[in-house]
Amino acid sequence: MSRIIVVTSGKGGVGKTTCTANIGMALAQRGHKIAVVDADFGLRNLDLLLGLENRIVYTAVEVLAGECRLEQALVKDKRQPNLSLLPAAQNRTKEAVSPDQMKQLINTLAKSFEYILIDCPAGIEMGFRNAVVAAKEAIVVTTPEIAAVRDADRVVGLLEANDIKKLHLIVNRLKPAMVQEDKMMSVKDVQEILAIPLIGVVPDDERVLVSTNRGEPLALSPNISVVGMAINNIARRLEGEKVPFLDLMAAYDDLFSRIRRMFRNSPRQ
Amino acid sequence: MNPDSSIPASVSAIPQPTAEGNPNLQVRFKSEGGRLLLMLPPDVDSASSASTWSDVWQQLKQRLNAGERFWQPDTAVHLIARDRLLDVRQLQAIADALADAQLQLKRVYTSRRQTAVAAATTGYSVEQHSPVAHLNQGTEGGQALADPLYVQATVRSGMEIRHPGTVVILGDVNPGSSVVADGDVLVWGSLRGVAQAGAAGNDRCLIMALRMEPTQIRIANLVARAPENPPAQYYPEVAYVSAGSIRITKAADFSRANFLPEASSEQGRQ
Repeated sequence: MSRIIVVTSGKGGVGKTTCTANIGMALAQRGHKIAVVDADFGLRNLDLLLGLENRIVYTAVEVLAGECRLEQALVKDKRQPNLSLLPAAQNRTKEAVSPDQMKQLINTLAKSFEYILIDCPAGIEMGFRNAVVAAKEAIVVTTPEIAAVRDADRVVGLLEANDIKKLHLIVNRLKPAMVQEDKMMSVKDVQEILAIPLIGVVPDDERVLVSTNRGEPLALSPNISVVGMAINNIARRLEGEKVPFLDLMAAYDDLFSRIRRMFRNSPRQ
Repeated sequence: MNPDSSIPASVSAIPQPTAEGNPNLQVRFKSEGGRLLLMLPPDVDSASSASTWSDVWQQLKQRLNAGERFWQPDTAVHLIARDRLLDVRQLQAIADALADAQLQLKRVYTSRRQTAVAAATTGYSVEQHSPVAHLNQGTEGGQALADPLYVQATVRSGMEIRHPGTVVILGDVNPGSSVVADGDVLVWGSLRGVAQAGAAGNDRCLIMALRMEPTQIRIANLVARAPENPPAQYYPEVAYVSAGSIRITKAADFSRANFLPEASSEQGRQ
């Protein structure tokens, strides 16, 4: 039985596509046969992040129209043959596909892959409904910002109403130094609102931007960066392994910050 | 948390009581003689759009997810569809959702011929009524509050729970959500969203929360905001109306002040 997981967030720009590309790559490197599906019709990006743009011939829309077979549309990654991409059409809108078609497409894919990761578009309209309709699990990505958490909360409610009960939370782009100074929501603050199990915390890192621009997911070389390790740990936790969380705070927890915190937390009058 | 006086200007912002006073705006379950009645909101074809099929569907799923442990397996459910148009697929979806919660759809009450036909083809017993609104009695005179609604769930951003009675929530009420009750609102968890008690105009209604950090609270037609600076420590608190404004007090002090006769006279002076 293959696992169909949608990666979603509600708000745009929090790192859904980056997470999909990297987790997909990490799972592929761990020896799983995986398909990543771009459900963002009209604004597709997943192919760019994976560096597969120039190899796309057919897209999901052509498969649904019967103009090609599903295998023809799947783009296999050369660096990591376990990973395949089902690209979205760039010249259509979200209304080009119906939830029923999407469900049928994903269920056909499920026959030949262990994992299917669906990259959901931002928003909660048609594109969202298409992306979640076939999913059995969801990874909710959020950044430690009030707006992102609020939207993620809305999305969690919608996922529950769509009978997706197995949810995983990724807190993306955490800046430990800012959390230490109480200038950013901590992972605990985010969890207090969303109340779903945490599967990973990814620190903010400029190298992610570099890797997305190059089309080389960081997960291809997991040991050179904390982000790569965090992503790899998420993949392992998805497999069911118990991996302790990286202590992102440790480097910033010196004596001075402890003293500062002590004063900040003292009760006011 | 400091009591915040009412803001008269925003009183008019609450549409009273036409929208909120309508007891049948949301999907709700009611138990009657050992079976459950599933009551759908009437089909209002206006721009208020509070009752499109997808809204009804989501409300149904939320209510099912939030109360399932109270239902015995295989309880019969009678669907009261009123003037709502339901096709075979929608009826099947409702029946399936009920079946997931181990409830059995048995009978459909409707005033629409098409719905009756769809229900009959799907294999449920049907009772068709003439479209006269005999289920929602007129608005004349006082109306008794509905049974309390018990919700065991996190009320998340975008959700709105309306109920013509008291609402009890076992879980958090997150920012971006709202709970509107004609009776009291009790939150056994954190209240961070908007809560309104006594929505039909009763200012003796109360809002209680283990952790009171609301976006806004309303009782009857009074409005109060949370203070700008959050308190250092949270206690279970009660919001009530006294002398024309909303006050908030620690739950322990509230019951002492309001339910013990000798202390009640001192409460006005605090």
